[in-house]
This record gives sequence, structure tokens and C-alpha cells, in this order.
Amino acid sequence: MKKSSILALSAFAAAALALSGCGKPATTTAPTPEPSKPAASASASPAAANAAATPADDETESKTPDTGEPKELNLFCWSEYVPQSVIDRFTKATGIKVNVENYASNEEMKTKLLAGGGQYDLIQPSEYMIQAFIKEDLLMPLDQADVPNLKNIAPEFRDMPFDPGNKYSVPWMAGTVGIVVNTELVPDAITSYADVFQDKYKGKIVVLDDSREIVSWGLDTLGIPVNEVSDENLEKVKPIVAKWLPLVKVYDSDSPKTALLNGDVALGVVWSGEGALLLNADKKFKWVLPKEGVHLFVDSLAIPKTAAHPKNAELFMNFILRPKISTLISEDFPYLNPNAAARKFLTPAQLANTASFPTTEEIKQMETFQDIGSQASKIDDLVTTLKVQ
Amino acid sequence: MAAIAEAPAPAPASSAYERRPGWGAWLFMAPLLVWLLLFVVAPTILLIVYSFAERDSFGRVVFTFTWDNYLAAFQWKWLKILVYSIWYAFLTTVICMAVGFPAAWFIGRAPERRRNLLMMLVMIPFWTSFLIRTYAWITILSNQGFLNATLLASGLTTSPLVMMYTPFAVVLGLVYNYLPFMILPIYTSVEKLDNALVEAAYDLGAGPVRAFSKVIIPLTKPGIAAGALLVFVPAIAMYAITTLMGGGQVPTIGEKIQDQFTKASNPPFGAALGTLLLLLFFISLWITQARKRTA
Repeated sequence: MKKSSILALSAFAAAALALSGCGKPATTTAPTPEPSKPAASASASPAAANAAATPADDETESKTPDTGEPKELNLFCWSEYVPQSVIDRFTKATGIKVNVENYASNEEMKTKLLAGGGQYDLIQPSEYMIQAFIKEDLLMPLDQADVPNLKNIAPEFRDMPFDPGNKYSVPWMAGTVGIVVNTELVPDAITSYADVFQDKYKGKIVVLDDSREIVSWGLDTLGIPVNEVSDENLEKVKPIVAKWLPLVKVYDSDSPKTALLNGDVALGVVWSGEGALLLNADKKFKWVLPKEGVHLFVDSLAIPKTAAHPKNAELFMNFILRPKISTLISEDFPYLNPNAAARKFLTPAQLANTASFPTTEEIKQMETFQDIGSQASKIDDLVTTLKVQ
Repeated sequence: MAAIAEAPAPAPASSAYERRPGWGAWLFMAPLLVWLLLFVVAPTILLIVYSFAERDSFGRVVFTFTWDNYLAAFQWKWLKILVYSIWYAFLTTVICMAVGFPAAWFIGRAPERRRNLLMMLVMIPFWTSFLIRTYAWITILSNQGFLNATLLASGLTTSPLVMMYTPFAVVLGLVYNYLPFMILPIYTSVEKLDNALVEAAYDLGAGPVRAFSKVIIPLTKPGIAAGALLVFVPAIAMYAITTLMGGGQVPTIGEKIQDQFTKASNPPFGAALGTLLLLLFFISLWITQARKRTA
């Protein structure tokens, strides 16, 4: 999730005149050096061979069902998370034109949805946001008959606590947050947050610019469950985070891999998809799940109650649950693919990427974020305070 | 903008009546007025209304009347963030002036045909997206970037210079992006400057320093002031560069305002910060105007 969103500062004259300066709409894809490309092409050929071997491919099932709705779908999704190739194929198969708008955080999506400015048919929230949306009665229940491909999802990613019975959502991708080590610059063994945040690595660390993430690492360090964010626990975390933040060189949720690739930092605490891309790019990068604790995130597709084209949205859900389509997503964004049927089409190298696919034992140990209501702004306030301490 | 308005003093009108615009003038102004109403006045009112609202635990905006957002804004950390933003904007403005004035002078004094070409050269980089230009700087400045590779290969340094994600990178990025806003208005002033006045200063015995400070600077002051405003004001709230090239170690006010509308999902507080920033601009503009009138 949240990769290179960022700052379209287009008309520079307009920017100069706007008193409040510049915006950071998450619509543009940043021209970062994408290490995903070599990885994608390397894996493409065996995948293609696979495809040829199994002509009973899900592509052939496309009967182009008519939903009876105008041929349009407004998709509101994370930036750098939905490959253009998937959207093109969907349009080709169904004739439905997809309008894409991006966001860079769950909260941004929530705020825009609540403001009611845009018309969205399909959103892509993470688990705790789905939970909150269900509680607030903002999602439309799915017609299970329209998404038969849900059967492709691995059992452990179906019927999850945030949406029992998948009444409202289907999983897109899952992932973790872990440590990336540039072993050329850091010869010591790194196994934990405590190893990363040492004085000797001051100015050599990139972390996600995400207050809840940062605080959750502190909670892990204290052995407190990541969802127990009472004022008292936040007070306990404060000294730890206060010690960590001055060591950080770069805060970046959008493309933390950039600073690591360019050699500007040696250590990172980043999304697993970013980690996987780094592992593909260079052998000197190592992926470590911190021993203090790791949390699993699951991003899903859901339909807001206000959607104008809910049937088209269900059609899209079912489409991306096709194994072959799902592998396309994995190629561009190597997160933990919850689609068990799709994993058969992934190359051994893709499956062996430790950042993309943690072991089942590891997954069992992981916590997931829950909705924490208004404590979220207290967390943001805490981290802001410590950044300017 | 005030400086622009006062730049070319029109022939004094004989009475206030004659200066009142006729219906024709209003007609020509209508598109601009509508634009201002829709995209400046209306959003500003909305911002102010929001700034007195509250949010519920889910993040919905609840329209009540409370000063809480403003009270929360008067905290040490927000002041520090604001001071930090103003400091970078100030540094950027000063450097842009130091670099931009000679450039604008040179262009303005060049033969007429070459002027357009030179102005074009100033503008050309801005045909490329802001984002691409900023990423270009990252590839130049990073530890394994172009500049460090060149320095290492030439033997001038033995280990890479740390340039990315430093205050140096931030100021460089800001100056690079805002320089044309300084050059353009100064150039306009320089172009209009009557060379005879400079010559007269020399004839009357002024040295280069005196001619510069007593004649050239006062005559190009409107351009300099306009340029300073055009650079300083947007640079305060600019955070794209501070996050991309500075690593976002110390947040800027623009970044924090945006965060309130997105990550922190607290639009009322973001609106309060935005309103305060707007107020700050108005007050500083008002003070400069008042000082000019008394001067």
C-alpha cells in the first residue's frame, strides 16, 4: 500500500498565487526508479509458460455479463497498488470504463468519502478501516453470488475478524511491516527494532511516515498489544519513540525504497512490498521480521453505500480474484497474495521472496490493527510533538 | 501584489468620479470576479466555518461553534513548525534575490532580440513536471548519485558527501523552483529602467556602489518587492520539497495542515491552522502597506 503517491504540483503559476501553497494530491505516480520492472520481466516468462500449459485459464470464462448499469466504474484506491494492466484487461473484457482516483492513507480515503465530494463505487480500505466502516454502516453488503471467485482466496484470509463471512469485502493484498538491511553498509546482525534504532545508525535510517505504525513498533517493544492505545500506554511508549525519532534520516510512506536504493540510508522499516522489490533489485538487501512483534495488514475491496455502480464494482471484485489476474498484481506489487489459486502461477523465485511471503508460523504470530477511534489523532499528535522536540 | 499595484503610477485623475469604472469595465472584470468568488472567497469562507467545527470519534465533521481548534493551535510545537517554515522561506527568498537580481539585470540590459531568448531559457526547465525535476535532483545529490560519483572519480573526495535529506538539499530545491518568480518581476523593472538615469548618476560623480544603492535599487524596488512576495508566500507552505529532499525530519506547516485533512482526519483543526496562516499573511501585508503609507 501507500507507495509513491505524492504531490502533483502542476501549474506552477497557480501554486505561486495560492496563499496556502501546494497540495499533495495522491493522484500522480512518481517517476521513481522502479525496481519492479526487472523482477516482473524475469518472472514473466515462466508464468507465460505456465499459462500456455494450462489453457483452461480463467480468461476464457469471460462471458461479459451485463450488469444493466452504465459502463462505468469509479475506483478509489491506494496509489501504486492497482496495476494499469489489470484495469486495461477489465475494460477489454467487460467494456466498462474505469476512472481511477488515488489516496495515500486510509484516513485520507475516509475523509474524502465523508466529505462527499467524489462519487466512488469501489474503495480499498485496510482491515481496521473496513471494521470502522461496517460499524458506521457505510458499506454495501455484497451479493455473494456475484463474487464466486472468492473461493480462490486462501482459507486464512477468508472470513477474517474484521469482516466475518466476507459480507462486505474481498481481500486484495496482505502484507507486513519489517526491517530492510543493506548488508554492505551494516555488517552486524539486525533482528529487532532495538538493533535498528541504535545511536551508531543515526542518520542512516528510513521509516514509514505513519504515526500509528511508528507507535505500534514502540508498543511491540514494550510487549503491549498494538491495539491497546490507551493514554496510559501512549505515555509509556513516548520515551522510546522520543529516543528513536532523532536517529531517523528520512520519513517516507510513499516510496521508502528510494532512499535505500540510492544508498542514502542503510536501514529501513518499510512495507513488505517495498522490501520485496528491494530484495529483487539487489542481493545486498536483507528482510528481517523484528523479533519484538509484527502486524499483518489486509487491504480489501469494498463498495460504499453511496456507490452508483455497485454491480460493476462486484464484477471488478470477481475479476481481480481470478488467479491469472491476481498474478499480474503480484508481479507489479509483490505483497502477500491471499489468492491461493494464484500462487500456483507465481514463479518459485516470487514465492521464495521472504518479504512477500512470510511462513505460516510467522503469520500466526502476527497481530492486526483494529479501529481505535479518536485515539488516532492523539497518536498523530504524539509523533508530531516528538518530531519537533 | 501590493508592489505591483503601485508600480506604474497612472496619470492622476482629476476627480474621484472619473476614476469610477463604468459598466463596460465591470463586464470585462466579470469573469475574474466570478473566478475569485468561486475559488477564493467561497473556499475561504468554508475554511473559516470548518475551523469552528468539531470532529466525532469516527472523523465526521460536526458543525458546532468552538474555539478549541484555535486553542489547540497555540502550542509550542506548532509555533516551532511555523518558525521553521518561515525560516526556510526567508532563506529561499534571500538567496533567490542574490541570484535572481544579477540574472534579471543581465537579461534586462541585453539587446532586445536576445532578451526573449534568455527569458525563454529561464522558463524552459519549467515545462517539465515539478515532480520529475525534483526526482532529478535526488538522482544528482544522493550518496551514489551523479555528483558524488563525479567527485569520487575525479579524486576530489574519498568518501561520498552527504547532500540528500539535509537542509542544504531543501534550500537548493526551494531556490531552484522559485527562482523564476524572482527573476520575472525584477526583469520587468530593469527593462523599464531608463539608462539615462544611471548615466546621470555616474556623471554627477556617483561610484558604482552609490549608483547601485541610490538609483538602481530604488528604481527596481517594485520588482524586487513583488518577487520577494511571490517567492516568500508560497515557500512558507511548500512541503513537497521539504519531504522529498529533506526527508521530512521536521514537518513544515503546509505538511501538517494537509495531514490534518488526510492522515490525522481532523479537518476542523487543519482548517484552523490554515485560517491562522492566512491571517498571518494578511497581517504582514497590512503592516507593510501601513509602513509604506507613513513613509
